[in-house]
Order: sequence, then structure tokens, then C-alpha cells
Amino acid sequence: MAVTITARPRIDGLGITFTLLLSLAIIFPLLVVGTWAFTEIWRYPNVVPQQFGLRFWEQTLTRPDVWGALTLSLQLSTVVTLLSAAICLPAAYAFARMSFPARTVLFFSFLAGHAFPKFGLLIAIAAIFLQLNLIGTFWGVVLIQLVGTLLFMIWIPVAAFQAVDRRMEEAARDVGASPLRVFWSITLPQAGPTIAAAVLLTFVGTFYETEGAWLIGAPAIRTMPVLMISFINNQMVIQYGAVLSVMLWVPSFVALMFARRVIGGGAFARGFGG
Amino acid sequence: MSEATEAEHRPLIDATGDSRRPTGLLLVGIPVLLMAWLVVWPIINAIVRTIWRPDQTGDYGLDFSSYGFFFSDGYSLANLSITLWTTGVCALFLLVICLPIALYLRFAQGPLPGFVQALAIFPMFVPSIILAYAFIRVLGPNGMVDIILNSVGLPKIRTPYLTPWGPVIGLVWDNIPLTVLILLSGLGSVANQAIEAARDVGANRLQVFWHIIMPRISNSILVALSFSILGIFSAFTLPYLLGPAAPEMMGPFMQRTFREVNDPLNAMTQAVITFGFCIAFGLFYVRSVARNQRK
Repeated sequence: MAVTITARPRIDGLGITFTLLLSLAIIFPLLVVGTWAFTEIWRYPNVVPQQFGLRFWEQTLTRPDVWGALTLSLQLSTVVTLLSAAICLPAAYAFARMSFPARTVLFFSFLAGHAFPKFGLLIAIAAIFLQLNLIGTFWGVVLIQLVGTLLFMIWIPVAAFQAVDRRMEEAARDVGASPLRVFWSITLPQAGPTIAAAVLLTFVGTFYETEGAWLIGAPAIRTMPVLMISFINNQMVIQYGAVLSVMLWVPSFVALMFARRVIGGGAFARGFGG
Repeated sequence: MSEATEAEHRPLIDATGDSRRPTGLLLVGIPVLLMAWLVVWPIINAIVRTIWRPDQTGDYGLDFSSYGFFFSDGYSLANLSITLWTTGVCALFLLVICLPIALYLRFAQGPLPGFVQALAIFPMFVPSIILAYAFIRVLGPNGMVDIILNSVGLPKIRTPYLTPWGPVIGLVWDNIPLTVLILLSGLGSVANQAIEAARDVGANRLQVFWHIIMPRISNSILVALSFSILGIFSAFTLPYLLGPAAPEMMGPFMQRTFREVNDPLNAMTQAVITFGFCIAFGLFYVRSVARNQRK
């Protein structure tokens, strides 16, 4: 334990061990996938590929099923994120600023979905969708993915609205600004970045959502992750999966960059009960 | 959480302001109704429809036969036990891997801890479908590990792909970030003074860990494990892609019963049984999150 003060820098042996082990377990597998994506020929006993190239990028990107899945995934994620923002952000503002009957109970009711194993809950929802003929439809998938976004899209913005300095809002009201003007000029600019991060995380999370899309949507609704499943299970060409992985990882990387501010503060772990 | 971190915790919501003005109710109405329709109602519906069923004459009555079938069917029981085994092994591995990392991150100084934390959180940003693909390319037959072993003249590994160890490795990998974050947040409540005081009276590292740190973070450990167990018990994607075809974990089993066997009744029965096995962890997890948010 480094509570003692050391005069000269020590070698952080434990840290080096963790770095090496974690790099091996976490970064190395992803590097292998990255290598496969730019490989044209790599036969078994060779340690490095015999031929690098972009041939499989062209082949993957000209497949109609890849384009179909990409378009569908982007459409789904956009619709789900917009719907989620439209219904959750006003609700978050109400939870943060207004008082109304049963506020506390309703606020914590969004945890209900997290008290149950997720796939069991999806099966229970699917049984209801079966009666409503929503299985295999676009809107069935939208609904099931929308439910998954509610908790984050309400709790993170509630924290954002509450972090806004109330005295500034009151000062603006005192000099005659209308409530709408205060919201637009004072509240939104302060809460904006956190809310934007929540919206972005929702979009990326929905883009990668696999289980609801597979259970409710398949086979008619084929999103990118669902297409990846079939590539992993039935596709003989290894590179297709690798190219898709690299392509799919890009939005995730963007989210990583933006989300650091949300995750950094420890608020994120607290949201998970830490 | 204790005195060390309490100051920076503002309550997300305080219970004092509830009053009779219903404007807010209209604003929160749609998400609340959506929750009621797509979370609460499906659970009630699944429980009621699996026990209150029509008999041959069409009269509705209490009927536990689908549960009787599950608990007498060898295949269903094998699936349940492989699920329990996977969940238990994953929980154990997560604790053994993540607790040392979290302890290191809490107490180490210098430039490396930031890097180690970034590495440990990284899997959160790798979708499980990409993880499954990477797993097959590295640990699968003729994968990267086989290539490296072969190049130094060693025999191939017995690949964990399509064995019960496949989902274990994938699920542990996937759950490392949140487990580390939750444990680290719990370690924030261990005050440096308490540790220094114990060291001053001659306690060694193990004693400090056992008597000073463990009591403070036991709750965080339970929260982290509850969260992982809820996710792992009904995991679908990784067991479906990396696990054996039979016996299969509850996630793929439910999916197959629902979509391929086209038997919603037994799929719902399996879902209710997974709820039953996880209910204690679920309630504990939700209670902890709610208590943290109120502080």
C-alpha cells in the first residue's frame, strides 16, 4: 500500500504485471481481429499473414445484406434515441424540478427492469408481443429497445438538471427573463453536455443491442449485430466478420471518447449501485 | 458509503417535496406507463399464464404442470445446472480478478494506475458480438494461441470454444469493467487514516485487508456480484455463440423454446424460473442502488 512516502521513485512491479496481463487479455484479442480485417491470405501455421490487403473490405462493403443491415441499424437507433429523448428528457426535468404526487416511487420504479434477469424479461415481453403480432416487426424491436434506454435517459439527465446552479436561474428570473428563456439560456447550456453524452450512449447502446433484436426481430429485422451472429455461425470467409467488427467498433470508440466525462466522476458506478 | 465520500454525494432526488401539483405527473406519464406495460405487466402476465391455465374442458384453474415438467425433465435440469455452474464460476473468477485490480487502483500512485484503469474499463466499449468473434479467432481451433504455441513447438490447446468454459471466459471478460468500477467506488469509503492507524500499531498487509478494508467494502462486493449474477444467469449472446449446443444455458434455452420450438408457455415457465433464482440478487441490487441515490 503506497501510503508511505518514498524518497525515490520505486518500480511499480504490481502495476507492470497488471498492465501486461490486462493488455494480453484485453488488447491482444482485438489486435488479432484488427489484423484479420486487413489480411488477404493467412494460412494456419504462419505467425504473420502471408498477404495483407483491402480486398475483403471491398467484398464486405458491396454485400447487399451488409448495407441493408447497416441502414436498418442506423434507422432503428435513430428512431429509438429520438423517441427516448422525446419522452425521457421532459420526464427527467419534471423529476428534477417539479413536485408531484408519488414522485419518489415513480422515480425508483425505473429500476424495476433491472431487478430481473434481462433475457427472462425479454421472453416475458416477447410472449405479449406474440399476441399483439409485433414479433418480426420494426416497431416491435423499437419498443423493446426503447424500454432498455429508459433508466439511463432519465437518471443521467436528472443528475444533469440538478447540477445546474439554481441561483443563476433565479437571478435571471429576477431581471425579468421568462421561464422558457431561463431554460433556454441558463439551464440547457449547463445541463447540455451531460445530456448529450446520455443521448450518445443511448444511440450507441441501441446500435449494438443484440438480444432484443434477435429475439423479437429475427428473421425479418436484421440489424448489424444480428448479421454478425449469422456471419460467426455460418460464414466460411473469416475476414467478413473481422471487417464488420472493425467497422462496428468505430461508433463505440466515439462513445468512449465522449463518455469519459460521464464515467470519470464516479457517478456512473454509483448509478450501478457502487 | 461513509464519512469519507458523503460530502460529494448529493441526493438525486429527495422525498420531502412531494405535493399535490400534478403537472409533473403528465411529463413523467409516458415513460412510467411504458415501464408498466413492458416490464411490470409482462412479468405478471408470465407468472399468471403459466399457473392459471385451461384444462381439457376449457375451465381455467391452478395448474403447475409446466413447472412439474421443467423440474422432472432431464434436459431442462441439465440446462439449469450448467447455468448455475457458469454463474458461480464467473462470480468467483470476477472476484479473484477484479478485487486485486480495484485494490491496486485505490492505493497505488504514479502514472501506471490510470493506464491500468483504462485497460480494465475498456471491455465496456467492446460489444459482446465483437468479443465473441475475437474469442474464436484467438482461442478457437487454429486460433492465434494455437499459432503461437505451434511456432515454439508446443502442442495445441484444448480449445474452450463450444465447451462450458467458452461462455465463462467471455462473460468474465465482459463483466470486468463494471465489477472493477463498483468495487473501486466502494473502496473510496476506506479512509487512508484508518489504514495508517492500523499500520502504526503493527498490522501487516493481510491484516489491514481483512480487518480494515473488507468490512468496509463487503457491501460493494455483494452489489458487484449481484449485478454480474443478474446479467450472467440469463446471458444470451455469449453462451449462444461460444457455448456447447447441449446442455445450453437458460438464455439460449429460452430463446430456442420460444422461437424454434414455438412453445411460449414453456419459454415463459423457464423465464419465471430464472426470475425465481435471481429474485434475491435483484432485490438486493435494486435496494442498494436506490439507497445510494437517496444519500
